[in-house]
Amino acid sequence: MSEGMVLHGRGLVKRFGPAVALAGVELAVRQGETIAIMGPSGSGKSTLLHCLAGITKPDEGEVTLLGRRVDTMRERERSALRRTRFGFVFQFGQLLPELAAEENVALPLMLGGVPRAKAVTQAREWFGPLGLGGMEHRRPGELSGGQAQRVAIARALVTGPAVVFADEPTGALDQSTGHDTMRILVEATRRNGASLVVVTHDPQVARWCDSTVEVRDGRILPAAAVAR
Amino acid sequence: MRTLELSWRLLRGGGRRELLGAGLTLVAVAVCTALLLFAAGINLAFDARSDREAWRNPVRASDAVAVQAVRHGFVADRSITVVELAALKQGLAPPPGLSRFPAPGEVWTSPALAALIERLPADRLGRRFPVLAGLVIGDEGLIHPGELVAVVGRAPGDPAMTWLQSAESLLSTGPTRIAGFGGEPSDMAVGYSILALIATVLMIVPLLVFGGASARLTVARRDRRLAALRLVGATPGQVVGMTAAEAMFVAVLGALLGTVVYGVAVPLLAGIPIAGGTWFAWDLLPGPQYVIGVLLAVPLLVGLSAVVGLRRVVVSPLGVAKRETPPGMRFVRVVVTVALVAAAPAVASGTASVAALVLAVALPFLSIAVLGPWVVGVIGRITARSARGPARLLAGRRLMDDPRSAWRTVSGVVLTGFVAGFIGLLTPASGLLGDESAGRLQIEVPAARVAETADKAGERLRSAGLAGRVETSGKGDHRLVTVVLATEETATVDRARTALAGLAPGHSATSPADDQHQGEVMLADVRTGTIVVLTVSFLVAIASAGITAASSILDRRQTYALLRLAGTPLSVLDRARRAETLVPLAVLGGGAILIGMSSGAALAPGALNGSGMTTLLVCVVLGFCGVIGAGALSRPLLRSVTDNPAPRPD
Ligand SMILES: Nc1ncnc2c1ncn2[C@@H]1O[C@H](COP(=O)(O)OP(=O)(O)O)[C@@H](O)[C@H]1O
Ligand SMILES: [Mg+2]
Repeated sequence: MSEGMVLHGRGLVKRFGPAVALAGVELAVRQGETIAIMGPSGSGKSTLLHCLAGITKPDEGEVTLLGRRVDTMRERERSALRRTRFGFVFQFGQLLPELAAEENVALPLMLGGVPRAKAVTQAREWFGPLGLGGMEHRRPGELSGGQAQRVAIARALVTGPAVVFADEPTGALDQSTGHDTMRILVEATRRNGASLVVVTHDPQVARWCDSTVEVRDGRILPAAAVAR
Repeated sequence: MRTLELSWRLLRGGGRRELLGAGLTLVAVAVCTALLLFAAGINLAFDARSDREAWRNPVRASDAVAVQAVRHGFVADRSITVVELAALKQGLAPPPGLSRFPAPGEVWTSPALAALIERLPADRLGRRFPVLAGLVIGDEGLIHPGELVAVVGRAPGDPAMTWLQSAESLLSTGPTRIAGFGGEPSDMAVGYSILALIATVLMIVPLLVFGGASARLTVARRDRRLAALRLVGATPGQVVGMTAAEAMFVAVLGALLGTVVYGVAVPLLAGIPIAGGTWFAWDLLPGPQYVIGVLLAVPLLVGLSAVVGLRRVVVSPLGVAKRETPPGMRFVRVVVTVALVAAAPAVASGTASVAALVLAVALPFLSIAVLGPWVVGVIGRITARSARGPARLLAGRRLMDDPRSAWRTVSGVVLTGFVAGFIGLLTPASGLLGDESAGRLQIEVPAARVAETADKAGERLRSAGLAGRVETSGKGDHRLVTVVLATEETATVDRARTALAGLAPGHSATSPADDQHQGEVMLADVRTGTIVVLTVSFLVAIASAGITAASSILDRRQTYALLRLAGTPLSVLDRARRAETLVPLAVLGGGAILIGMSSGAALAPGALNGSGMTTLLVCVVLGFCGVIGAGALSRPLLRSVTDNPAPRPD
């Protein structure tokens, strides 16, 4: 295991019936590293993310987090792992519409057993730095798309995760808002010392990341694995 | 037509889960339809019974054509109605069920009575009707197929047709000069009709809630797609049309299925004895106008409910895609409720009409439905504010966010709580009527013939080999000869009745226990009816709780799935869902029971008795368990919805 390795996927294969979504993928994520995953639609980017994050079990291969096997864990353990060691930002819809913004951010802490008052206080501390001052009491439906994604970023980071996974987090935003949001995501993750695995279509976004991997038909293209 | 085609595509292309939703709706609509037909059928059946019985309640007339007397005898703890008729003119129209007017000396019997005479020893029954020539009373003259009726022809001068009734009696109507066989409904028949109407009102509201819930199930999962259609430019009219057409298409099938189910169930239902006997199956079949009415009304209501469920989409294309803080529930609801509850007793006591009675039941019922969502909102605010853990917080915020949806889940059971409270208070205590002697047979006789009748009674007892003594009592015109038997055993009492038959013309020997017979039957029927109404409403309510739970999962599947992806344990989601239902259920159910009891008290002031208390407790336990069970049943759905590793916007 190389220096500072946090998450390591090796020989990952995933099939859906006859369709092969992943055909043997290796990906290593070092501490604090930001990796962009690119590739055409249907190439297996989301599936790779899900395997790494312990959402789906790969059919073959293994995933380790800090030396611990993730893929062999039972659902309950993987669920706890996702809650405590990982953070997630999806395209949209991950915020509970009936909770206020600050409660959405506080929710992962409360799930971890932090008392409500403390969790909400901790959650509020994220609003200013992410440019969300004054939005604490708004409902997700009353936020703009970019604001909602920033709340989601706060929610992903509030538990101090080792790795943040983001699957096309700006896919539903216009380009300039998308860029702003992505920069905030990358910077905030770095500030917290977390690693980031982000799926994106935007080459511009990929440039802010430490490295980029290109996925095609369930494989990583070696030529496109450009280190910066 | 394009709309219809498009919605058919939508239904078919929607995949398994959509078809499952449509299937559930179909079943739910079928159940609703069957129960609605049952409600109509039972009310019409009581009316039909009442109509067929009317001719046996003679109405005194000045331009008389015949004399009629009616009395009740008893055999094997069953009542026999004996109608004695004497024509005052030639060529009279016969009473219902008879092919001609009975000639003096003729005895006509109902099929059940004829069979019983065959079956029992002659000294128990047969000898009471000496001349039998196989004359049978048809169904048109009978309340129910098993009814024991005898029609005896007399000459106008026969002592049985000329005695004067000296006192009101439950069991006999003395010779009455009548102009025809129109008659009038008996008090009992009117009582039963009113009870049936109350039961119907109590059942119909949970039923409508159920129908609404199932209609919404077709809409669940679809709202997002329709919102998308709206976004790409479908007109509100098209969206409404599609939704309504789709829901109604399923509802028409469901209504037809329900009609068939009811038709199949009728023979079974007809076997349930009420008011002393089972039913003619055709009594329970509502006429074509009712069936058509139900078949039209049910799909219309379902369509309407579906459209209302989609109102938000239609009003704004972003209504579903983008959630906003919902407008608060108005305090007006509270005011309306208090007014309704307060008005009910006033309406009930003001007039004694049936309509007022029904209103007195329906108004508080309605008030609960009006107040429900508002109370759910308040409960949500309290729950959310006091929540420490995530499950309570989620539940509270959810209740605040969409109180109507949470209300829909519990409304059926809550409204049934009202029914339970209402009925719990009205349930008659067992042994209400006391325990009267069955071994004291009494005959009313004119003062001049007391001694003679008493002597003859003693003689007849001895020759029949029965042990007992004879007493006389009463003064003035109202004299009684009482035979006190050594036993209350049914066969012996029957023998004594047979031995005493015809001792006093136009009179049967009856005991104080016989006087209470009808009352006992009615009380037993009220208990049966209570159980039927409660069972039906609880089953319906629990089914709608289950269906609503399922559709609320489908509505929120994306949020649930993403929460689960991010590591939220299923148990937290489940606990939140449970709290979402059980907290409002506890508060509203308790309130509804109290309102039900207060409405019951307004109709029949009295304290809650033991059996009423038992009924209530059973209901509370059943209601809670049922709702918990219904929620637990939807857990696999929650799991399957959240198991999908790649949740998509749709
Ligand atoms: N749950 C699933 N069931 C069946 N096939 C799936 C499922 N998820 C993904 N796939 C298939 O696997 C392939 C990769 O999908 P995905 O990882 O979502 O691609 P990407 O995210 O790169 O667009 C696609 O061909 C897709 O159709
Ligand atoms: Mg993808």
